[in-house]
Amino acid sequence: MEYVVQTTNLSKRFGKESAVIGLDMKIRKGEIYGFLGPNGAGKTTTIRMLLGLMKASSGTIQIFEKDLNKEKINILKRVGSLVENPSYYPHLTAYENLEALRKILGVPKTRIHEVLEIVRLTEVANKKVKGFSLGMKQRLGIAASLLNSPELLILDEPTNGLDPSGIIEIRNLIKQLPAETGMTILISSHLLTEIDQMATTVGIVTKGKMIYQDSIESLRMYAQQKVLLKVSDSEQAWRSLLGNGIKADWEDGIILLSEHSDGKVAKAIHTLVHEGYSIYRVEEEKRSLEDIFLQMTTREKVI
Amino acid sequence: MVSILQSEWFKFRHSKIMFIILTVPIIGIFLGFTSRFSNEDFEINEWYLSLLSMNLTYALLFLPLITGVLASAICRYEHQAGGWKQLLALPVTRGRVFIAKYVLLIVLVLVMQVLFFVAVYIVGMIKGFTDPFPMVIVWKSLVGGWVATLPLIALQLWMSILFKSFAAPFAINVILTLPTILVVNSERFSSFYPWAQPFLMMYIGGETGDTFYVPWVQLLTVVGGSFILFFVGGYLYFQRKAV
Ligand SMILES: Nc1ncnc2c1ncn2[C@@H]1O[C@H](COP(=O)(O)OP(=O)(O)O)[C@@H](O)[C@H]1O
Ligand SMILES: [Mg+2]
Repeated sequence: MEYVVQTTNLSKRFGKESAVIGLDMKIRKGEIYGFLGPNGAGKTTTIRMLLGLMKASSGTIQIFEKDLNKEKINILKRVGSLVENPSYYPHLTAYENLEALRKILGVPKTRIHEVLEIVRLTEVANKKVKGFSLGMKQRLGIAASLLNSPELLILDEPTNGLDPSGIIEIRNLIKQLPAETGMTILISSHLLTEIDQMATTVGIVTKGKMIYQDSIESLRMYAQQKVLLKVSDSEQAWRSLLGNGIKADWEDGIILLSEHSDGKVAKAIHTLVHEGYSIYRVEEEKRSLEDIFLQMTTREKVI
Repeated sequence: MVSILQSEWFKFRHSKIMFIILTVPIIGIFLGFTSRFSNEDFEINEWYLSLLSMNLTYALLFLPLITGVLASAICRYEHQAGGWKQLLALPVTRGRVFIAKYVLLIVLVLVMQVLFFVAVYIVGMIKGFTDPFPMVIVWKSLVGGWVATLPLIALQLWMSILFKSFAAPFAINVILTLPTILVVNSERFSSFYPWAQPFLMMYIGGETGDTFYVPWVQLLTVVGGSFILFFVGGYLYFQRKAV
């Protein structure tokens, strides 16, 4: 499988404290990879290492199937990034900020107007960035990250600190990008709802460890409701359900029905009653993505 | 490399720190009019005394201080709002960024040197000097003073990258510059102290056996040696700096 980003056993220590521990991140081409984790989980540290801003304590980083340590310049030519708080030169205008970067990137000047248009800053292009709101600075940061038409865009909490309308604006902006250009995007956030609305793949980190990495659909599967049955002789009861072709799981003396339409539940209960089992409780378990995220990140255990 | 330099120049050109450079001729003119010296008793070119006294304060104090301020100013916009991480996530090597900043600094200091001697000339014109302008002497001290600041600038750049605050590198620079005033009276110490070299190189009363007012041996060992030490130190520090 071809990965745009692949880290192997990536770790970073600050003195005695480990900020990132044995991280294996895998991002395929064209994905919007949501890098999710509570504050202090190690997202920014990971992203800094991906961009070569900080050296890893151990482990390897491959981007575009090239070793970051060996081909940093060639890799960075094809990457756009926005790390943590927006970076800008306060004494320059929005246009001049991009011009200072453009000189290094060597793209045509028309590209500045294009990216300003994308983030809708054309009207304030000639105003000093000093006076910009956080949202405008954030958008300028995104414009800067798009200057070189990157194949991989890395955005670290791009909606952090924005008001709801700003958040929606940035979200829509990010969602339209891969569709238009086939770009691969790595976007970090501490908010699941944020990632849920944009990402196609999710990687969840907590305390420096990757505890989940899969498609957003797989994550949503966990969120689906389940019907729980508490019955007498539960293991036997479960086997007889399976024997009758009803899909179910058995866990800690509780039967979990994975198919939970009214008809299916009724059929399962009918079967159990018919076979002489006593039914003590029928419960519905609802887990929101948020619950799952919370559970994962507090328990630090892979589900 | 050229593109990074162009970007650095662009950022600099659009900032107010341009005006730091303009303080140099102002200081020069000020020094020219406040120093009281009389030519009447001597049968020498009237420019000499003017140069002697103006160079003294300028090279001893203002030159190393202003280059320090410039070095901080040139790193300031990167320190201010996450500029380092944006700059270094571009396809640039840190070595080239360091060199580009250094080159810009030394070019600016060369411009400062020229402006200073323009100020000397203006002062002479206003005072109505009639003797010929000593071009050779001026060139020697202009270029000599500049060469002598090269190691200082390397250390100042290093300190400016190291410290986020404006005050810290400035304080270090002041602490290193002030002893020069004491040290210049002792030929033994002053020849070895890097901060005294700009003064010695611009002290037109000094030895003239060699090309500059400082013997080549001293130039190569003290100026050259401290340059290598500071430049390599700053360069290596910047390579490893986490941003
Ligand atoms: N430069 C640093 N020095 C020491 N500790 C750091 C440094 N940067 C981050 N950390 C620590 O590493 C951990 C992860 O931080 P970070 O990567 O910023 O988390 P996130 O971006 O997920 O909120 C935190 O505990 C933080 O305190
Ligand atoms: Mg962070």
